[in-house]
Amino acid sequence: MAGLLDKRLWIVSGKGGVGKSTVSAALALRSARAGRRTLVCEVNTQERVSRFLGHPAAGPEVTLLEENLWAVDVRPQEAMREYGLMVLRFETLYKTVFENRLVRYFLRFVPSLQELVLLGKIMYHLQEKLPDGRPRFDTLVLDAPATGHAISFLSVPQVLVQTVPPGPMSREAQKMRDLLVNPSVTAAVLVALPEEMPVNEAIELHAALTDKVNIRTHAAVLNQSITERFTEADLEALADQPDLYAVARAHHDREALTVLAGTKLERNLHVPVFNVPRLLLPTFGREAIEQVMGHLEALVMGER
Amino acid sequence: MSTTALGPALAKKRVLICVGSGGVGKTTVAATLALRAAVDGRSSLVCTIDPAKRLANSLGLSALGNAETRVPASALEPLGVTARASLHAMMLDMKQTWDDLITRVAPPEQREKILANRFYQSLSTALAGSQEYIAMEKVWELRRKGQYELVVLDTPPTAHALDFLDAPNRVLDFLDNEAAKWLLAPALKAGKLGLSLFNRSGYVLRALSKFTGTEMLQELSSFMLSLSGMNEGFRERARGVRALLEDATTGFVLVTSPHSERMDEAIHFNTLLKQHRMEVVALVVNRVHPMPTEAMWQAASTLTPTRRAKVEETLRELQVLAEQDRRGIAQLQAACPGIPLIQVPRFGLDVHDITSLWQTGRFLLGDDAF
Repeated sequence: MAGLLDKRLWIVSGKGGVGKSTVSAALALRSARAGRRTLVCEVNTQERVSRFLGHPAAGPEVTLLEENLWAVDVRPQEAMREYGLMVLRFETLYKTVFENRLVRYFLRFVPSLQELVLLGKIMYHLQEKLPDGRPRFDTLVLDAPATGHAISFLSVPQVLVQTVPPGPMSREAQKMRDLLVNPSVTAAVLVALPEEMPVNEAIELHAALTDKVNIRTHAAVLNQSITERFTEADLEALADQPDLYAVARAHHDREALTVLAGTKLERNLHVPVFNVPRLLLPTFGREAIEQVMGHLEALVMGER
Repeated sequence: MSTTALGPALAKKRVLICVGSGGVGKTTVAATLALRAAVDGRSSLVCTIDPAKRLANSLGLSALGNAETRVPASALEPLGVTARASLHAMMLDMKQTWDDLITRVAPPEQREKILANRFYQSLSTALAGSQEYIAMEKVWELRRKGQYELVVLDTPPTAHALDFLDAPNRVLDFLDNEAAKWLLAPALKAGKLGLSLFNRSGYVLRALSKFTGTEMLQELSSFMLSLSGMNEGFRERARGVRALLEDATTGFVLVTSPHSERMDEAIHFNTLLKQHRMEVVALVVNRVHPMPTEAMWQAASTLTPTRRAKVEETLRELQVLAEQDRRGIAQLQAACPGIPLIQVPRFGLDVHDITSLWQTGRFLLGDDAF
């Protein structure tokens, strides 16, 4: 398979709590190590990626974390301001209009405007150029919201193109949609855990991305996988030690769930599944991310 | 006899709202609390959002669409207990609940127009907090009917705790026609957007229309107008919802897992609930790894070498995980002083059948403890 490095926008999503930010951080770090200028975007969250990598939170400004790696937390208010200035061109005009309390109320209810400006900022960074004409960022890693929110977030351009009368909003939306649906630019990585609900959500998300939004799924990551350890014979031998049997049984069941989840993902998504084992480190930080990155080598660099 | 804070809550509260991040087992905790309340003699309803299929099946739920279904006595058979009062469950269909609400408060001639309007679609599905709001609106409705002694609400996976607590205010804001009238007055008067530069709102409007296009503003203004007739009905309900959240017979159960990220979110939630003067009955830490006992290590040392190595490796892993959890929980307790903290261990497999619910309940109510 081809590696993610061939694409420029990597969208990471899945059910809440499956480790999307962990995977985003690992992918972004690997991209930066490969010499690509990489920007990792979080959307209006309590930032995690920067902290995972051992840096202070980036905040709403694009911030250099380390060589080739930048981060930004895309927040509605700042994104709205940047978009507003782009449209209105004058700071004073922006202030008069947008710092008016009533206008703020009003804009909150313009359908999908918030998503549009958030996504707009991300897409803007994707198209930014350096003075010499090269892209400012080679790779953009989007730590996307969880399943339902991700689908509505990424559908916004499509929905606007279909519903909004011609005008500035629909022109912006058209541009964004063209980039999102272009399989040589955009790829989705869906994260799951070896449990029923996260696997089902990854499958639902894949279906929605494929049919509704037209975004190509590139691979799945099965986080917190459990590798095989106990045989049936082991379990039988422990049958007379209830406590140990329970420990071994639980481990064995999770091994089986891991296999089952991997198979189910492969069958439904028709893409490679990368297993990231459950990590046992005293604290979750840079070292953990580096380990996860090791397991995602082939996903980023491609099979050689 | 329960020894945790959830015992008195199950006996006295009329509404319990389970909140927390996605993927921490909120639905399970909500279903467990309703089950225990019914077994102990209070008629209960659990209102779930997107439950796991097997959990839904174990409660006898098959159809979405807001149908309150009685959980059959046969479902409780595996437990060897009989419920002293009825247990009901339902799956909340957000869109349906919104449509029902419009149908209830809109003048008949406006109904179809509103349901078809794009801005309504946005309000009912995309507006931050709208799902949270409609879930609470449903509970308020159920509470008003007074059919159940206890209603337990599972909540949507919230991106931001504030969306949840702010939801009634946001909906009220949306209906606050003052803003719309001020902005749209010229448009409404002239039937098109006023473009007079000498009039403040005209000037603001022109800038705005650069932003959104003029048709969008016109469509919004007509939507606002169609809503204006139903404002009072809405407002009354939104006030009711807000009052319900602050009511002494309503309690929040904050659910988290022992991951540091999830716990940070729980701490944040707790702070906000406190600010909003809402009562957190208990902080439930779900899926905690118990520490392997000395007896386990002892027993492991008697095994054949290969098997011993496998078992000891597993115990070492569990030890690391239990240590992590223990440290995290200590920090959590320190950050939420005075809130009773209840730990539920991680069980062998996914908790989706009635037996596992019962097992969870034994820890929630303190019949079992670590």
